[in-house]
Amino acid sequence: MIDSVCSLCVSSLVISVEGLPRPTIIIPEQHILIEGDDEDNPYVAKVIRLFGDGEFGEQMKAVVQWFVRVSEVPLSKLKLLGREPHPQEIFHYQGRICDDEVNVESILRPVQVTVACVHPKVLGHKMCTNITTDVKSIKFKNIDSWMSGHHLLTMLLLFQQIMPGTPRTPHQATPSIPCRSLPTRQPANILEEARARLHVSSVPESLPCREQEFQDIYSFVESKIIDGTGGCMYISGVPGTGKTATVHEVMRCLQHAADVDEIPTFHFIEINGMKMTDPHQAYVQILQNLTGQKATPDHAAALLDKRFNNPAPRKQTTVLLVDELDLLWTRKQNVMYNLFDWPTQRHARLVVLTIANTMDLPERIMINRVASRLGLTRMSFQPYSFKQLQQIIMSRLNKVKAFEEDALQLVSRKVAALSGDARRCLDICRRATEICEHSTTNPSATGLVGMSHVMEALNEMFSSAYITAIKCASMQEQLFLRAVIAEFRRLGLEEATFQQVFVQHQALCRLEGLQPISVSEGLAVCQRLGACRLLLLEPSRLGVLQRVRLNVSQDDVLYALKAD
Amino acid sequence: MPQLHFRFRFRCSRGTGCVGSCVRIHEKAASWCIVGVVVTLCACRHLLELLRRSAIQGESNSVLIVGPRGAGKTMLLQCVLRDLLQEKEAQKNLLQVHLNGLLQTDDRIALKEITRQLNLENVVGDKVFGSFAENLAFLLEALKKGDRSSSRPVLFVLDEFDLFAHHKNQTLLYNLFDVSQSAQTPVAVVGVTCRLDVLELLEKRVKSRFSHRQIHLLSSFGFSEYLQTVRTQLSLPDDFTDRGFAQDWNSSIQTLCEDKSVEEALQRHFNSSKDFRSLHMLLMLCLSRVSVSKPSIKPADLLDASRLCLCDAKANMLHGLSILELCLIIAMKHLNDVYEGEPFNLQMVHNEFKKFLQRKSNSMYNFEQPVVMKAFEHLQQLELIRPVDGSSAKTQREFQLMRLMLDHSQIMEALQKYPQCPTDVKQWAMSAFG
Repeated sequence: MIDSVCSLCVSSLVISVEGLPRPTIIIPEQHILIEGDDEDNPYVAKVIRLFGDGEFGEQMKAVVQWFVRVSEVPLSKLKLLGREPHPQEIFHYQGRICDDEVNVESILRPVQVTVACVHPKVLGHKMCTNITTDVKSIKFKNIDSWMSGHHLLTMLLLFQQIMPGTPRTPHQATPSIPCRSLPTRQPANILEEARARLHVSSVPESLPCREQEFQDIYSFVESKIIDGTGGCMYISGVPGTGKTATVHEVMRCLQHAADVDEIPTFHFIEINGMKMTDPHQAYVQILQNLTGQKATPDHAAALLDKRFNNPAPRKQTTVLLVDELDLLWTRKQNVMYNLFDWPTQRHARLVVLTIANTMDLPERIMINRVASRLGLTRMSFQPYSFKQLQQIIMSRLNKVKAFEEDALQLVSRKVAALSGDARRCLDICRRATEICEHSTTNPSATGLVGMSHVMEALNEMFSSAYITAIKCASMQEQLFLRAVIAEFRRLGLEEATFQQVFVQHQALCRLEGLQPISVSEGLAVCQRLGACRLLLLEPSRLGVLQRVRLNVSQDDVLYALKAD
Repeated sequence: MPQLHFRFRFRCSRGTGCVGSCVRIHEKAASWCIVGVVVTLCACRHLLELLRRSAIQGESNSVLIVGPRGAGKTMLLQCVLRDLLQEKEAQKNLLQVHLNGLLQTDDRIALKEITRQLNLENVVGDKVFGSFAENLAFLLEALKKGDRSSSRPVLFVLDEFDLFAHHKNQTLLYNLFDVSQSAQTPVAVVGVTCRLDVLELLEKRVKSRFSHRQIHLLSSFGFSEYLQTVRTQLSLPDDFTDRGFAQDWNSSIQTLCEDKSVEEALQRHFNSSKDFRSLHMLLMLCLSRVSVSKPSIKPADLLDASRLCLCDAKANMLHGLSILELCLIIAMKHLNDVYEGEPFNLQMVHNEFKKFLQRKSNSMYNFEQPVVMKAFEHLQQLELIRPVDGSSAKTQREFQLMRLMLDHSQIMEALQKYPQCPTDVKQWAMSAFG
C-alpha cells in the first residue's frame, strides 16, 4: 500500500511502500505489482510512462503493459503452450479489454522480472522460453537487502490474444449436486428398515432367481475376455425382470476376478439409448468412456473405427453394455451396424451386450446384415413367477420380520398374474409398510404388515379411478353422461354431436325436475368431462358441432350412476 | 396460488378515523377447511409423509396427483410444501425444481430449465451453456455422482404431467424415474395432471419405473360441505384487526347463507360443477359489489353474480348484432329446420331472407347483395357460422358451404331480450316453416 505520494514528475514517481524504510522510486520500464482482487496474487505490469491527468495534473496515472499470471490463463490456452508452465511464470498480455491506464494509488510495489533462457517453440510468434533449473536458482537467489521483500518472477513470452470480452463459458464445470448439511437419519424401527431394504434401488449383491442367467452371461463374457476375441449377445425381457441388474452383477464379479489376476484386465463401458438425445451420440459416449476425448458424432465414429480396425499391442478387451437398444435405431441403421460389426474385426477385442424388451427385435426392425452380425447368442429373461417374487422379497428383507406370510403371498400372486415385474412388487410392499405404520393408533406398537394393509395398497395401486370419478362428478355431469348413453342408444352409433346430446340432456333435466341449463353451461360441463378423459371430444373450437365419444364402457357408467 | 384480495378503506363507525380493513379470502382457510372431505386429509398426509421421507431420510419416490380441473391439486401441493418447509432440516436441504408442461414444451427446454433452477455449474447467470446432448449428459452425471446419505434431495414438480408424456421418446420422464429408482441422488418426482388415463400415456419402460402411486383428488363431498366452504371462505379470520367489523361481517355472512334463494343459487352452481375455481369466481363477483357504502353482501348480489356466471355467452353476443344479421341468423335457423342440419351457403340464406321480405315483412328493407355479403362475413368473423372443412379456397365466397354454430334455444333466448326487435322478425322466427 502506498502511504504517501511525495512528488510527481514525468520521468519518475516516488512512493513509499509499507514495510520499507526508504521511499521507492518508480520509473518507466520498471515492472510493478498492482492491487487486484486477490491479495496474494496482485496483477503484474510494466510501466510505459507516467503522466498527470485532470485539470491541474493532480491525478497521477501510469500507462502500463499488463502481464498475466499462469493462474489467470484458461486451461485450454495453457495447453496451446505445449508444456507445463512454471507457477511463477507470467505472460505478456495483448488483449484490448483492460484499460492501459491506472491510478498510481493502486501500485503496490516494484517487482523484478527475469527472462529465463530462451528456446524457440511452437506458437508461431516469438520465442518461448524454456524453464530449466536456472529458474530455481534465480528464484531463490538472495537479493540485495535494498530490495528485500521484492518478488522475483520469470518472464516468458508472447502469446496470442487471450480471453475475449464475452462471459467466459465454464470450461471447468464439474457436474455435482450440493451436499447436505447433516447426514440422513438411520432407520428407526423395523418398518423403516424394511422400507429401506425394499426400495428398488437397494439392489442386492447377488440377485436371487437369476442364477442360471447369471451363469450364462458370465461364461460368455469370461470366455471372450480370456480368448481375447469379440462377440455380441442380445438379452431381451419385459421391464422389471432384472436384465441390467444381472449384467452389472456379472461385470462386478468379472472385475473382481480381473483384480485378483484370474483373467486378463478389461474395460467396461455402459451406454443407454434412453439417456441419449440422438442415436449418433452413442459414438460420442463410447469414445468419451474409452479415451476421455470429446468429439462430434462423425469424428467420434471415425476415431472408433480406426481404433477397432487397427491392431494395437497390449490392447485390453472392451466390454460394452448397450441398454435400450431399440432407441438406437435410425433409418439407415448405421449405428447398430457399426456396433455389431466392430466385434467381428480381428483386432477389435470388443464384446457387446445389448438389452431390449422384445424377443423378436432383430427380426422385426433390423435389416438382414445387421441382424446377422448380431448373431444368435440370445438370452430371454422370463417374467417372474409368484414363487420367485416371494423369494426376492424374502431375500431382500433377510430376516427383518416385517410381513405376515399370507400378505407376501398375496402380493406376489397378484403381481405375477399381472406382469411379473419385480419393481411393481417391491413398490406395493413398500406402500403396505407405510400404510401399516400410519394406521396403528399407537405408534410404538409396530405390528407386522398384514393382509388388510396389503389389500389397501393393492387397491390403491391397481385400481382405475373412473368409477369413483363418475360417482364424485356433479349432478349435471352425471346427467350429461346419461344423455350421451341415451343418444348413442337412439342413434345406434358410438358417436354423437354435442347438439344431439344436449337435446337429450335438456329432456333429462326436465325429468329430474331441474332447471334447464344454457348451451354455454352445457359446453362447460362437456369440457370438464373431456379434460378428465371420461369423454373423448373433438377440439372445442367446433362448439356445438363437436363430436363426443365415451372413454369408459357404457356398463361401467351405468354401474357407477346406479349405485347412488 | 393467488389469494383473492380486496382492499378498501373506510372509517369505522366506532373509533375515530381508523383506516380500513381488508377482506381476504384465505387460501389457507380454504385448504384445511375443505373438511369433512376425508379424502383430502388422507391425501395431505400421504403426500406430506412422502415428501418428508424424501427430504429428511433421502428416500427417492414418485407420485402422481390426479384430479379434475379446479379440484385443488396445486393448492394441496403448495400447502404440503409450506408445511414441510417449516421443518428446518427439510428447508435447509431440499432443492426444488418446478416445471410446467405448457411452458416447457420440449425436452430440450425442460433440461435447460432444470439446469438453471438447480444452478449447476454450467449455468452462468441465467444462461445455460452447452447443447441438448451436453446438458443431458451433465445433469445425469451430476445426479449419478450423488448418493442417499450425502447429497441434497431434489424435488421435481411437473405440472400438466400428461404433456410431458408427449415429448419425443419420453426421455425426460424415463431419466427422472430412473434416477428415482437407482442408488443416486435422492429425488422426489411429483406429477400433477387432470387426466384419469395418464398411465396409459406412459411407455412400458417409463411405466415400469414409475411407482404407481396416485393420489386422487375427487370432490366426494356433498352440498352441506359445499355450503360450509362458502361460509368459511367468506368469513373473516379471528386475527382480523377490527374485531367489531369482523363480527358484524361474519354474522351477515351467516344470515346470507341461511337465505333460501341464496341456497338455491348455490345448489344450482353445485349441481353444475363442484370445483373451487368456479366457486371462487362466483364469490369474487359478489365481493366486487361490496363498497364503503354497502359493507355487506346481500342475497341479491349473489343472485346477480349467479346469473352472470350462468348466462349463455353466445346469446349475449347476438344482442350486439344488427337487424340484418339477426334476420340472416333466423333464415339459417329455418334452413336448418327444413334441411335437417345440412350446410348452407350465402345464396341460399339470401334467398330465404328474400322470401321473408316478399311475404311477411313490412319493416325490413331489401338490402343489396354486397351489404348482405358483408353481414355474412361479419357473422363468420364472430364465429357464429363456420365453413365446412376443406372448401375454403376453391369456391367463390357466396357459394361456400357453412354451418350454424348456434342452437335453437340460444336464438330464441336472444330474441326475447333483443332491444327493439321488430315484431314481424320475431314472428318470423317463431313460425314453423320460413
